[in-house]
Amino acid sequence: MTVFHFFNCAILTFGPHAVYYSATPLSEYDTIGTSAKAAAVYLGTALVKLVCLATFLKESENGNFDPYQELLKVLINFIDVAGLYFALTQLTHRNISQNHKFQAVGLGWAFADSVLHRLAPLWVGARGLEFTWEYVFQGLEANANLVLNLSLAALGSLMWLRKNKPRILIPIIYACAGVLATMPSITSYLRRALGWQPAKAVGFELFSSLMMAFLSWQLFSACQRPA
Amino acid sequence: MAGRRRGRIGGGVEVLDSIYSVVALVFILVACVELGDAATAVDVYRLIQYDIAGVPYGSRLAGLNHHAGASFFAPGADLSRTVVMMPVRELNLTFLREYIISNQPLGGLLLLLPEKVGNRIVGKIKSKDDGLMRNILVELEQLLIHANIPYPVYFAFEDDKINAVLADVRRNDATGQPPMATTGGYKLLVSIPEPKRVSSPTITNIQGWLPGLKGDGDTNQLPTIAVVASYDTFGAAPALSVGSDSNGSGVVALLEIARLFSRLYSNPKTRGRYNLLFGLTSGGPYNYDGTLKWLRSFDQRLRESIEYAICLNSIGSWKNELWIHVSKPPENAYIKQVHESLSDVANELGVTIGIKHKKINISNPRVAWEHEQFSRLRITAVTLSELSAAPELLESTGGLHDTRDSLDEAAVYRTIRLVAESLAKHIYGHQGRNIQIFADNSSLAINPFYISAWLDLLSRAPRVAPFLSKTDPIISSLKKELSDHTVELHVQHETIDGMFSFYDSTRATLNVYQVASVAFDLLLLLALGAYLILLFSFLVLTTRGLDDLINLFRRPPSRKVKAA
Repeated sequence: MTVFHFFNCAILTFGPHAVYYSATPLSEYDTIGTSAKAAAVYLGTALVKLVCLATFLKESENGNFDPYQELLKVLINFIDVAGLYFALTQLTHRNISQNHKFQAVGLGWAFADSVLHRLAPLWVGARGLEFTWEYVFQGLEANANLVLNLSLAALGSLMWLRKNKPRILIPIIYACAGVLATMPSITSYLRRALGWQPAKAVGFELFSSLMMAFLSWQLFSACQRPA
Repeated sequence: MAGRRRGRIGGGVEVLDSIYSVVALVFILVACVELGDAATAVDVYRLIQYDIAGVPYGSRLAGLNHHAGASFFAPGADLSRTVVMMPVRELNLTFLREYIISNQPLGGLLLLLPEKVGNRIVGKIKSKDDGLMRNILVELEQLLIHANIPYPVYFAFEDDKINAVLADVRRNDATGQPPMATTGGYKLLVSIPEPKRVSSPTITNIQGWLPGLKGDGDTNQLPTIAVVASYDTFGAAPALSVGSDSNGSGVVALLEIARLFSRLYSNPKTRGRYNLLFGLTSGGPYNYDGTLKWLRSFDQRLRESIEYAICLNSIGSWKNELWIHVSKPPENAYIKQVHESLSDVANELGVTIGIKHKKINISNPRVAWEHEQFSRLRITAVTLSELSAAPELLESTGGLHDTRDSLDEAAVYRTIRLVAESLAKHIYGHQGRNIQIFADNSSLAINPFYISAWLDLLSRAPRVAPFLSKTDPIISSLKKELSDHTVELHVQHETIDGMFSFYDSTRATLNVYQVASVAFDLLLLLALGAYLILLFSFLVLTTRGLDDLINLFRRPPSRKVKAA
């Protein structure tokens, strides 16, 4: 029963990535290479982030919320954005349209994120006899994360790859991108400082990621129209 | 441009390194997945498993892996796959007796004992509740020891964690729902190797010898007086059988008497003309097997020189009356002498000593008192005890109820006073005279702190003989203490009489897991499947269009036509 539960949670965590890949035209254009490269860049970014956290962050004695430390964490999260920039712009991709490029990069990025952060706890924890909702929540979080990363990749491609954007929309694009980038910090703030229950926090994540995805979609399609 | 290139190569190497470390980490994690992840882990103590002449008794299984239940009457519960958790004070003993005797199936039994009492209550009779609990425990123990139970039985102490689990299990039983994820079914798991027979259970007899003062012209052997106590216990949970009263009190009395007489005998001017032999014997619950083997090891001269022996058994919780048990008729001169000397001192202390006579039946292998082993070898002996009736086999051998707070230190003190004074009167010939040798505030006063400290130590040391190795710490402590007080120490190792065999695995850790039923996971799988299919369809619809979705499910017919 417990391996069964592990199997379930694994499907919940990693299934959507596979489904996304096979359902959208990404599979037709065979963009797996791009996703793999994006995943590799994510790993590098994660390493850099870890080093920065270890260097600059002080260990807090009690679990209280220290604004200065959190600010530092937010700044370090922007390294994520830098990594995404690198993946979108600097790597050589095959001739795929921008539309698909950001999707592939976002997918690879989110997949690497899930594997790195969620596979090990799942393997160790979900196979035991003890039942907790934790791993189901983790899977839902992975889904939210996927949507979030796709939106961020979309906005990123808008910001850095598309040259002719309607002037009005530019600040909105940057604002949305900023919100997306700080989303992990926001959720951790809600969890730790405000003490939200895991269910509530996951619900918020899902909701916010869908909202942001909708917004990004609108922005993207708005920029599609020839100026 | 070149710099960027180099940066990329460096980045590539870094990425590779981190991949290697991640892979290594993954392997390490995979290797150690059996991490403890239980909601609760509790120390549990198994019911004893033993055979007498091949007839099995006690709980015959050790491993446990079933769902928890809180009562025997839950509707629709399959009791053969349930472990019933029950606090001892809510146990219905008649029902349990019926259940066990009629061999009804059960997955396992977990009995919860009241919380360990940290503080000691000295002297006073405990509250009525405590008395009630004692009776329940005594009856429960006798029931479990003499039954043959084909499923595991464990004892645990009540604490917050397990009480919370019990409350949850009760709630679930009350609602009658099968265990679901949110309602929290619990699974109890004890993983322990199958119990094996203890190959040669040893008993260790410790004897100390204080020689008396031999005059210059004396060629004969000096007479000897023996003081004996058996120190091992037997109970339903061998890991909890500390036997404070039976017979920790006797052991402490013997040690204090040895200490007092070693002080007297250290000075040749006060050394009596009797040898003193102190014996700490093992194998008490098994018809005093150890005492028999110890006596058989004596040579003839020693045996003949023993004038009489006093055996101490359970002298820790009496108020006004103590009993001497004899197997020779009370009219016998020696017995009379012993009785009188003890009664004299008893009168001074304001207590009474009764005498009980129980004839030995040579053909009956049951040995109820230690002095009977002496009597069978024609040595005059008496047993001093607070028990008025002879205990049955494996009764009053120290058990669950016999803990530190069931003792009255004043009773032990009085007994030591009684025995020491009467011994001294006999040795130094002061019968009838009103002399107190071990008076309070003298240099030979009985030391209450010594008594207290040794009672504490013995109450923390379970002493079931088959599970005591030759080098067990308590045996070493007793050896060292007796050798401090006596001139010559001798240790004898024997194996227990072949009629008794014992099985190990006496303590374990119980893991309590909160589990979800398989139905829950199946539902989850269905939900996930539906979700993924929906997601798939949604994505195909939005990115490729409805036609593509339909085309996925239709075999392309054109190819066949072309082939034809």
